[in-house]
Amino acid sequence: MIDDDLWSAVGDPTRRRMLDLLLTEGGGTATTLSERLPVTRQAVAKHLVVLDRVGLVHVTPAGRERRYEVDEAQLARAVAQLAAVGEAWDARLQRIKRIAERIQRDRQAGVEQS
Amino acid sequence: MEYGSIERELRIDASPEVVYEVVSSPEHVREWWPDEAEFDPVPGSTGRIVFGDPASPEAKVEQLTVVEADPPRRFAFRWVHERGVPAAPGNSLLVTIDLVPSGGGTLLRFTETGFRERGWEAAVLEQAYADHSRGWDHFLPRLVARATSLVARP
Repeated sequence: MIDDDLWSAVGDPTRRRMLDLLLTEGGGTATTLSERLPVTRQAVAKHLVVLDRVGLVHVTPAGRERRYEVDEAQLARAVAQLAAVGEAWDARLQRIKRIAERIQRDRQAGVEQS
Repeated sequence: MEYGSIERELRIDASPEVVYEVVSSPEHVREWWPDEAEFDPVPGSTGRIVFGDPASPEAKVEQLTVVEADPPRRFAFRWVHERGVPAAPGNSLLVTIDLVPSGGGTLLRFTETGFRERGWEAAVLEQAYADHSRGWDHFLPRLVARATSLVARP
């Protein structure tokens, strides 16, 4: 599994909305998803191919259609990676804030004393 | 929309000049990020940041190249490119920090892009997989909202 592809797959807002629908409804087809989204069935089908390729959905035949379900372990893996990087930067930015504000206070105190 | 990006904004009660110093000078960068930082905060300068004890073979060393240095407005650098290879889109992550004066303080706008091109292994430096120890029950209900807020933050 190439992680770049995972990132791209969940980085698209339509695909995230699709994952959301598949999660809350326990699965769906290109047709049922397109009924809930402002995109064509063809566009949904293309997004499903992307999600399938990175292992974020499982496919099973359902009559003339294909039924998709979210691979929750794979989704959790993708999101954990995003979360880890985001959280690491949140912590760093908070440290930047603390350091800058401390320097600012020290300098102001210095000015007032002199 | 750049899919592979992290964007953040925060307000700091310090002047842009002070914040610029903190985000760009190696002495301060060491305080908020790696254990060691060696680079000149001027455009084109390449240096390195080290995570862990620099004397230990287990230390993780990453290259860093300053892309823009425009005090007190913008500091941008690329990192995680291979040693000896010029930093460029596709082989590194681009961090851009913009500073905007705001009511006596500073609004800091942060973006990091390049994940899609660069891949995750290098991006996820700090115990990226710690999250995996969390149980699915805790995790799954928050998944999509979380991904949305992390990736698509306007």
